[in-house]
Amino acid sequence: MSEENKEDKLKELVLARIDIMPSNLKLSIGGFGTFTKQELSEHVRKGDEAGKQIVQMQVNFIKALTSGKLIEALNQNG
Amino acid sequence: MGDIILVTRPKYDDGTEYLSYYASLILKEAEDLGIPAKDFEGKEANKESITKFIEKRNPRLVFINGHGDENSLYGHDDKIIFSSDNMLLLKDRIVYARACNAGTKFGKEVVKNNNGCFIGYKYPFQFWIDEKWSAKPSNDNTAKLYLEPSNEIVSSILNGRSSSYADERSKKKMLENMKKILKLEENKEPGAMGMLQVLWNNFDGQVLHGDALARL
Repeated sequence: MSEENKEDKLKELVLARIDIMPSNLKLSIGGFGTFTKQELSEHVRKGDEAGKQIVQMQVNFIKALTSGKLIEALNQNG
Repeated sequence: MGDIILVTRPKYDDGTEYLSYYASLILKEAEDLGIPAKDFEGKEANKESITKFIEKRNPRLVFINGHGDENSLYGHDDKIIFSSDNMLLLKDRIVYARACNAGTKFGKEVVKNNNGCFIGYKYPFQFWIDEKWSAKPSNDNTAKLYLEPSNEIVSSILNGRSSSYADERSKKKMLENMKKILKLEENKEPGAMGMLQVLWNNFDGQVLHGDALARL
């Protein structure tokens, strides 16, 4: 799979995740601002700085899930 | 060094409104503990006023709320209050920056060659807000999942604990809240994984630089 295809697939995954968020929730991302789910999706589609940040957060989370880092942290906490 | 604490609370958008509210709970706690605090709220959170105060009163604990980046911390209306130009003002202090990204470079520089400590974030500090309560952050139980654990840092330090204890205590609270969110997921509540990943972002991004045994 090309890098471009990988990026598109990742964006699709992020957009699907945003899509199931309840409509009453907004995400505050520091200096980027506070965004409704529609606005989050727009930023991801555009691929601007806020959008890249949202995608990167998803990548970090997937890595934590697949590497076992998240489960390890939760288990250590009893 | 003075026993007074310094708190910045700019307030000009949804994000800073919430940070400001949660920082007000810390001010109340300091008052209850008899610890003097100087509150730089709204427009007062500016470089000139804060510089004068630090030079005059020499606070041991500096609690910054607002926006940030790798090289700077911001006050009201996105105006820089700390950057490489004046980071020496933070030398030998305990600094907690509830702000984005300053834990990457700025925090490391602040504690270089001195006995200070810096707790901050290497990623953007993020939280979900329930729009229903955006005018009343105290009622927002969603935002609470993210902001209460961050308050644990300053609360622990006010109660005489070390910076490393404060960092760990806050992370423990985040993990407890992640478990609460996982329960929502088990109950098939929509958006639970989206909520979890934001809390993981703050957990994974929270860093401590400098003296891990620093305390008031």
